[in-house]
Order: sequence, then C-alpha cells, then structure tokens
Amino acid sequence: MHIRVIIRLALRNLRRQLRRTVLTVSSMIVGGGLLIFSYAIGDGSHESWIDAGVRTGSGHVTVEGPEFRLTKRIEDRLPMNVRGEVEQLLASPEMASQVVAVSARLTISGLASSPAGARPVQIMGVQPIDEASFSSFDEQLVEGRYLEDGDDLAAYVGVGLMDSLDLRLGSRLVVQAQDAEQEIAAQLLRVVGVFRSGVPQVDQSVIQIPLHIGSEWLGVGGDVTNVGVVVTDSDTVAGVAARLDSELADFVSRGDAYVMDWRESTPALASAVAVDEFGNHLVWGVLFIIIAFGIMNTMLMSTLHRYREFGVLQALGLTPGRTGAIVLAEGLTLTAVSGFLGVGLGLWLTWYFFGDGLDMSGMIPEDMEFSGVIIDPVIVPLFRVARLAQVFVFILTIGALASVYPAVRAARIDMAEAMKFER
Amino acid sequence: MNQIETAAVRTEGVWKIFQQEAEEVTAVRDVSLTIDRGEFTALAGPSGSGKTTLLNTIGGLTRVTRGNVWVAGQNVTDMSNQALAQLRLTEVGFIFQAYNLLPVLSAMENAEFPMLLQGVDAADRRARVRELFERTGMSGLEDRRPGKLSGGQQQRVAVVRAVASRPALVLADEPTANLDSASSEALLEMMAELNRDLGVTFVFATHDEHVMERSKRLVRMVDGRIDSDELRT
Repeated sequence: MHIRVIIRLALRNLRRQLRRTVLTVSSMIVGGGLLIFSYAIGDGSHESWIDAGVRTGSGHVTVEGPEFRLTKRIEDRLPMNVRGEVEQLLASPEMASQVVAVSARLTISGLASSPAGARPVQIMGVQPIDEASFSSFDEQLVEGRYLEDGDDLAAYVGVGLMDSLDLRLGSRLVVQAQDAEQEIAAQLLRVVGVFRSGVPQVDQSVIQIPLHIGSEWLGVGGDVTNVGVVVTDSDTVAGVAARLDSELADFVSRGDAYVMDWRESTPALASAVAVDEFGNHLVWGVLFIIIAFGIMNTMLMSTLHRYREFGVLQALGLTPGRTGAIVLAEGLTLTAVSGFLGVGLGLWLTWYFFGDGLDMSGMIPEDMEFSGVIIDPVIVPLFRVARLAQVFVFILTIGALASVYPAVRAARIDMAEAMKFER
Repeated sequence: MNQIETAAVRTEGVWKIFQQEAEEVTAVRDVSLTIDRGEFTALAGPSGSGKTTLLNTIGGLTRVTRGNVWVAGQNVTDMSNQALAQLRLTEVGFIFQAYNLLPVLSAMENAEFPMLLQGVDAADRRARVRELFERTGMSGLEDRRPGKLSGGQQQRVAVVRAVASRPALVLADEPTANLDSASSEALLEMMAELNRDLGVTFVFATHDEHVMERSKRLVRMVDGRIDSDELRT
C-alpha cells in the first residue's frame, strides 16, 4: 500500500513541476541518446579497425606453432597434420556459420633483390582464392592483377618495395630465405601485380606469392606457418578461439599448436582499441557526472521547496525512510523515463546512420594510419544490445545516486521546524 | 487501569530546551498535565509561552529534553522514529494554522491520506470521508485541489483528515488564525460537534478568544509554565 502511495505522490509531484521535470528529462534524454550513438560509433570504428587489422595480420584467431610468434623461424612452423585438422574443424557445420574466411599462410622473413639493390621483406605464401576473402590485399591493387590459382613464380608486391627495388610490372626479382633444411634458398619471381595498403611498412616489405611456390622453394611440404581465421564479428572471437583450443587440446599439449586471438597476436591494435574505449568512457563519465549534478540540483531544489510538505507527511505518520523514498522514487522515475526515451533516441540515431555510415572524411585525412591500420573515414555505427542495457543501467544508477542526497535531506527534516517553513 | 492508560495525554515534568547558537532557550518548563479522553482543551498564552512546543512534544514532532509524555497510554519519550511515526499515524490527528494540505492531492485524497497509510480499505475510507464531508458542508468539493478551495474550506478538509482515521487525540495549532471570524466560528462549531457526537479529544494551542470561550478546559501558559488550569462550563 505504501509503495503505491509513494509512487502516486512522486508522479504527481513530477507533474506539478512540469517545466522543471521536462527540462531535466530532456537533458537526460539527449545525454542518453548521444551516449548510445557515441558508443555505437565508437564500437563501429573499433570493429572497423579490428577487421582491417586482423585481415592485414593473422586473423581474429590464428593457429600456429607455439614459438613462431616470437621466433618467426621456419622450423617453428605448423605441421601439415595440424593444419589439416584445423581446416577440417573450421569447415564443420558447428563452426562454419561463425567463420567468414580461413587462410593458411607460409610467412617468412627474407631478402628481396633486383639489379637496383636488396631489401628485407616479409614473404607470404598464400592460396589466392582463400586469401582474397581473408585479407583486403587483392582490393588494394594499383597495377596488374592479383595472384591466381594457376600462377607460377608470380609475385604481388607492395608499391613501396617496387620503388625501392626499381621494379616494374613484369620485372623479375629474387627472394632469399632460410629453408626447412636451414639452408639459404633463393627463388626467382616475376611481378604480376602491385598493391598500395596505405601502411608504409606493409607497402615497403610485403610480397605475396602462391603457397605452392613457397612450399616447394622452402621444402616444407604441406606445412604452413599459421592458419588465420576471420569470424563474423569480434564478439564471436572468444567462442571460436575456445572451441579450437579445446578441439586441438592434444596438439596444444604436445607443443605442436597454439591458438590465440587477435588481442594476443596483434597487441598494439588491442591496446589502441582499449585506450580509445577508455577515453570514451572517461569523456562520457565526466559528462554524466555533470548531468548527475543537474539532477541532484533539481531534486534538491524540489526537496527544499517542499520542506513543509515533507514535515506534514511525517506528522501524518509517514516514516522518515518512506519520506525519503518519495524523493528517490521521483529521481528514479525521472531517470527511468529519460533512460527509455534516451535509448530510443540513441537507437534512432544509430539506425539513421546505419545504412551509409557517418562520413568523417572532412576531418579524417585519406590513408590516415593508426597502429598499423588504415582508418576508414566512413564509420558505420555498430548496434549492441549489451550497450543499450549498459547505458540504461548507467543512467538509472546516475539518477539514483543523484537522488540519494536529496532523499536523505527529506528523510532527516525536523518536523517542528518544517511546519514554520514559509515557501 | 491507572491514569496513564486511561488519559488521552499525560505529561510529567516535561522540559524542552532549544540550543540557539551558544544560548539555551527554555520553551517548556516542568509541565505536568493530564488530558482525559473526550476533552476539548485549549492551551492558551501569548506568543513564546511554549504552547506550540508543548503541542509538538505531545504529538511527537519534537522530543522532550527532560520528563515523560504518554499518548493513549504509550510513553513516547524514548520511542524510535519508526514507532513515533506509527503512533502519529494511528493515535494522533493534526490540524495546523496553515492548513498544510498536500497540494498534489484532491480534497478527498487529502482527507483519506492517513487512512491510506493505515491500509484502510478504499470503500471504507471513502465512506468515512464522505460522511464527514457531509457533516462539515464539504460535499461536492471532493475532487478539488487545495488551491481551488478557500481558507475555511481547506481547514475543514484538514479537520476531516485529522478525525477521519479515528485517532485518540487531535492536536490543533492555532487552527483559526488564518480564518475570518465567520469561517472561524463555523470551524469551531464543527469541531465542537465532532467532540460532542464522536467523542474526539481536541487539544488546541491558541490565543484566539473564541477558541478559549468554546473550550471546556483552559490551560494558560506563561514563559513555558502552566500558569492556570480551569474547567469551564
């Protein structure tokens, strides 16, 4: 019974001070809406960074030899039987729905030389069709063509390396690296295509060649250095990594394989995302503390204005706790309504920019690179139900906290003094 | 049964001292008083004589510095805030000089508010308030908010609110002070009727001569002390 009385009084008091209520609710709605939209934009841009980063790197999840990440040596490669098991697992019906692309790569460091000189390079043996769906190297073509399945001795070379070695389309170059027998082996290649990723260190060092050429050249048979996996979105990474880890437990325990997600394989990107997320939380935290003071001011003014009324309520038999509960109920009602409408506004903004994205090209220069990733100036907001729940709970918490002090003031009034209080 | 249990109010050696900055102000000095059920008593005296403070200590709005207060047989002196609130809810009705109706509630809702807190059934609440509104000439004004009622009408709603939940005691602090003489007379007549017909105990703090004339017992206070206590016919 008392709860209904408290809620009824709270609602009527909010309606009584309609202008003040509307102003407070409006600030909360705009704050909540922008918070959701800002998080959707932040999450969207992070997803874009992660996607670009993992496609250039070794995927959302990678399976490789346990030591390879540190040594990058050919002898720490992934054996053919493990590669086969991984590819079979990823093609299974249980996992296939979460997998977008799989690429087995043979990645080694070596030296590329032409009549103009020599440069240290990173040579990637790839299966062209798999790689085309895995990475975006094929889309970064500026001259010639991308690798094809039947290619022999073909090389797809970064634009920076082309300049350094003074190469042209069709030019020949020689790559040298340590083979499986730990001997220096050389391979003649011919440039069939040139790419520009926008990341200088990639454009100056990466050469892609057909996997079978690399395997023959280095004498590794069906072994590769890693199997990279791109999944549907970064939220499914943990599940896929855990599943692979569990299914490959025997290989992992024997030291033949190691499963890691993108946070471990590309820690610089993970740090960049974490730092940016922290910045977003900080900015919004400060903004909402300001809004919280606004709510507290509104509730406090409302409490002081009704000092005599609270005295009357207690004189009539309402306990101090329940008197405070009226103020708390007002604050929570304000914030719950604001929270719902703010979430609605945020959803609408997110939906509005969902199709074409938010074009920031006026502020973000073309080919802007951050932590080895080219920043796409068109940010597509990412909708996450968990974010909505987080924001709603955050707004409610802020509202509740901001109402606590006014509620305590209302609960602790001196009734005899309150009766003398003149409005 | 002893006097404490049968009396509506009993005070014994009550003192109330306020601390105002470095200075102590004694508002009530050693007051011992017994008010029986069904009395119509006025506490009279000039401003600052301590009558409102005494009324507040009886109603549990303020705590005594020394002494004891019993209301409807219960010692309120050391009661917890929770228990005091319960006592006020069930045993005490208040009428204030400034009416003090809740502006967001209608006349009916204001009048039934203590019963709502008591958990009285809605039909019963409404029936009791309607009967009292009928008796006090407030019928037809049930849905009006306080802002749409005259001072006299508001005070009548306050009286109905104070008596509808059938408390042991109604404490009225200068109930006629803001009313014109006609409204004041009508209100006093109404409270006298309620006292006579329903046996409601009224204790007034007043310096209104009309209230004093109407009272059956007049307790005069000077400087926080009882100066005289006379029964009137």
